[in-house]
Amino acid sequence: MTAAPRLRPASDPVEGESELRTVATGPRIVAAPRIGARALLEGLVAQGVTTIFGYPGGATLPIYDVLREFPIHHVLTRHEQGAAHAADGWSRATGGVGVAMATSGPGAINLVTGLATAMMDSVPMVAITGNVARPFLGRDAFQETDIVGIAMPITKYAAIVMDPDEVPLAIAEAFAIATTGRPGPVLLDFPKDVLQAETSAPLPRPSDLRLPGLLRPVRGDVPEADELVELIASSERPLILAGHGVQIAGASDLLRAVAERAGIPVAHTLLGIGTLDETHPNSVGYAGMHGWMHANKALQHCDLLIGIGGRFDDRITGKTSTFAPHARIVHVDVDRSEIGKNVRTDLGIVADAGDLLTALLRRIPADDPPPARAAWWAQIAEWRQVSEARPWHGSGAWRDGRLSADFVVEQIGEATGHVATLVSDVGQNQMWAARYYGFRRPYAHLSSGGLGTMGYAVPAAMGAALAVPDRETWAITGDGGFQMTMQELGTIVQEQIPVRIAVLNNHKLGMIRQWQEIIYDENYHSSELFGPDLVRLGEAYGLAAFRATKPEEVAPAIAAARAQPGPALIDFHLDEAQNVYPMMLPGKGLSDMVEQARDEDVS
Amino acid sequence: MTAAPPAPSRATSSTSGSSAAAEPATQSRHVLSALVIDRPGTLNRIAGLFRARSFNIESLTVATTLEPGRSRMTIVVRGDEGHLRQVLAQLERLIEVLEVGDLTHAPHLELELALVELDVPRDEAARRAIDEAVARAGGHVADRSDDAWRLSFTGRPDDVESALEQIRAHGIRAIVRAGSVAMPLHIPS
Repeated sequence: MTAAPRLRPASDPVEGESELRTVATGPRIVAAPRIGARALLEGLVAQGVTTIFGYPGGATLPIYDVLREFPIHHVLTRHEQGAAHAADGWSRATGGVGVAMATSGPGAINLVTGLATAMMDSVPMVAITGNVARPFLGRDAFQETDIVGIAMPITKYAAIVMDPDEVPLAIAEAFAIATTGRPGPVLLDFPKDVLQAETSAPLPRPSDLRLPGLLRPVRGDVPEADELVELIASSERPLILAGHGVQIAGASDLLRAVAERAGIPVAHTLLGIGTLDETHPNSVGYAGMHGWMHANKALQHCDLLIGIGGRFDDRITGKTSTFAPHARIVHVDVDRSEIGKNVRTDLGIVADAGDLLTALLRRIPADDPPPARAAWWAQIAEWRQVSEARPWHGSGAWRDGRLSADFVVEQIGEATGHVATLVSDVGQNQMWAARYYGFRRPYAHLSSGGLGTMGYAVPAAMGAALAVPDRETWAITGDGGFQMTMQELGTIVQEQIPVRIAVLNNHKLGMIRQWQEIIYDENYHSSELFGPDLVRLGEAYGLAAFRATKPEEVAPAIAAARAQPGPALIDFHLDEAQNVYPMMLPGKGLSDMVEQARDEDVS
Repeated sequence: MTAAPPAPSRATSSTSGSSAAAEPATQSRHVLSALVIDRPGTLNRIAGLFRARSFNIESLTVATTLEPGRSRMTIVVRGDEGHLRQVLAQLERLIEVLEVGDLTHAPHLELELALVELDVPRDEAARRAIDEAVARAGGHVADRSDDAWRLSFTGRPDDVESALEQIRAHGIRAIVRAGSVAMPLHIPS
C-alpha cells in the first residue's frame, strides 16, 4: 500500500517561517539604496556563492559592471550550455548549488539543455538570466525570449523578477526551492531595467520567504520502517537498489550500515554508483541496460526489492511487466509523485533516504548477527563468477594488442586509486566508465543519467574540478560528445582548471553504431564520425595532449597527463569494433539480455 | 464545442498498492480542485503538466478566494485513473500549488453556468414557450434585447445539458459555457 504522504500540508506553515513578509516581527531593516544588479550579487554572496559560470550579454551587462565589487569568481565559458553543465558539475561534486548566468534570448536558450539535464537528475542549481527592459517585454525586442515559458517544464521553478524590491527575496527563495526536498534547477529572469533600478530592499531573513507551496519532507522518524523491517525479516532473497537519492541525502554511510546489519546485498542505479564501495562484500554493482549480469539477475530473482532514492527508470527496469517478477517492491523516495509511477509498488514510503535508513538502523538490533541467507549469497556469488568470466567482462581485446575502452578505464581507475571524480559523457563511454572504473566513494561518478546529454562530460568536469580543486577530476568522453562541447577547452586553459580529459575515440557515434549493428541489422547510417587531430587541437589551445593507440601506451599516457599541474587531454584511439555488453534490447526485460556479439565465440 | 455528458460516477474503492504499467486504461471523468498562488505563470505550469501527459482539459475555471493572493481552480479532465493519480502528485509538488485533490469519488457539489443567445421570439406563443422552458429548467432570461434574447442556466452539468436540449428548438444562435466549479461536501464526523 502506498503510505500516506509524509509531506507537510500547505496549511501547516513551517515553524519560524511566515508566509507574508509583513508579519515578520521586529523593525524592517532597510538596506542602503543600490541597483538591482548589486542586490542580486549581494544575495548570491549571502547564499555562499563563490563562483558563477557565465557568458555576458547586453541584458546582463549591469551585473558585469559591478561584478568586481563582489567576492565572486566569474568563469567565462565558451558557450552557455557549458556554463549550465559546469554549474551542474559544481553542484554534484559538492552537494551545493552551482550558478550559471546568461543574457537574454540566445544566451538564455543555450542554458536549456543544462537545465533539463539537472532537472532529470535532481541537481540543485540556480540559473540567472537577463531579459530586455520591462517596457520592451512582449514586444519582440532585440534578443528577447520568454525564457520563463521555455524553462517551465524543465526546471523545478522559473520566474521573472519584475520589481527591483523583490530581487533579494527572489534570490533567497530560488536557493530554498533548489535545495529543499527533491532538489532541482531554478531559473530567475531579470529584465535589464530591474537590474539598473535602485532598491532599498534588505537581504531577507529566513522568516521572510514566501514559499507555502514548497514541499518539505517531514524529517525525523519514519513509522513505515516498522513494516519494512518485517518485510526484511521474512525475506529470503532481499536486495537494495541504491539510487541517486541516497547520495543526495548524504546517506551512503547509513545505507552501508543498514546493508551490513541486515545482511542485504546492494545493487546500484547508474547515478547510485559509488554509494557502496564496489569492493564492499555487500555490493553487487551496477544494474540495468548495460549493468552487470549478476546485478540484473539479483534484481530478477530477489523476493524483496527495496528501491531507495531512485525512479525505476526504463533503463534499469526494461519491460516493467517482467521486472523483478518474484519481488515485493518497496519504493522509498522523497518525491511522492515517483512512487508507483513506473513499477507496481507494494510498499511506498515518502521519506528522505537518510531518515528512512536511520529509522531502519534504529529498529534492527546492532548486536545480532545479520541473517545468514546463505543460499542467496551463494547464488549471487555464483552469478558473479559466471558474469566476470564472460568475454564481455572486459573485452580482453587488449590481449591481442588492440586498444579497448574497458582496459583504458580500468587503467585510469588503477592510476587514480579509484577515488578520482569521474565525469562521463553519454553513450558507450558512459557505460564503460560506469562498469570498469571501480568506484570506491559517493559523489565520484557524475553523469547525465536521466536526460542522457551528450557534451556533458567536459563542461561538468570543469565545474567539478573547480568546486573541489584538491580532488583529481577526469572527464571520460567519446569523440562524439567531446566534439559537442570541446569549445570549453578554451575555458579550461584560460582558467587552468586541472581536468584530465580522456577521449575514448573510436571515430564513431559508438552507441548509435551498436544499435544499428544489433537492432537495425547493420544498416549503418550517420554513425561514422570525422574528428580533428585531438593532440594538435589540444596543442592549439595550449593544452598538454597525448595519444595512445596501443595497450602498452595507455599507462604512460595516463601518467603523463597526471603529471601535468594543469589540464591535460588524452586521445585514446580505440579498436573500432568494440561494443558494450551485456545489453538489454529496447522493449525487452532484464532477464533477456544480449550477452555478447554474434560473431564472438559463445562458450 | 459541446461538453460531453458526465460519466456515471464510479464506485472505485482505493486499491492497496499502486500498479503503474499493469493498470488497464480506464477513461473516466474527474473533477479536480486546486488552491493555487495567484500570479502570472501559475496557470501555465498547471496546464503544462496536463499537456505533458496528453490529458485534454475539458474545462478549467479559476477565480480568487477569500484569502488574498490565493485562487481556486476547478479542472475537469477525462483520463486514466492511474495516470491521473500521478499527475495529481506532480501538481502537488509545484511551488504554485498549495493543495490539490480529486473530488470525483467524494461527495461534492458541482455546478456549471451556461449563457444562451436565442432569436427574438416571433410571436407571443413562442415567447410563452420559451419562458416556460426556461422556468422548467430553472434558468432565467437575462436579456430581452431587440436583436436577441439571452438566457442563463446554472446547475449540475447534466441539468444544464438537458436545459440546453429543451431550448434547442427555439433557435439557439450561440452557447457559452463556463465549465464546472465544484466544492467538496464535508460530512460532519
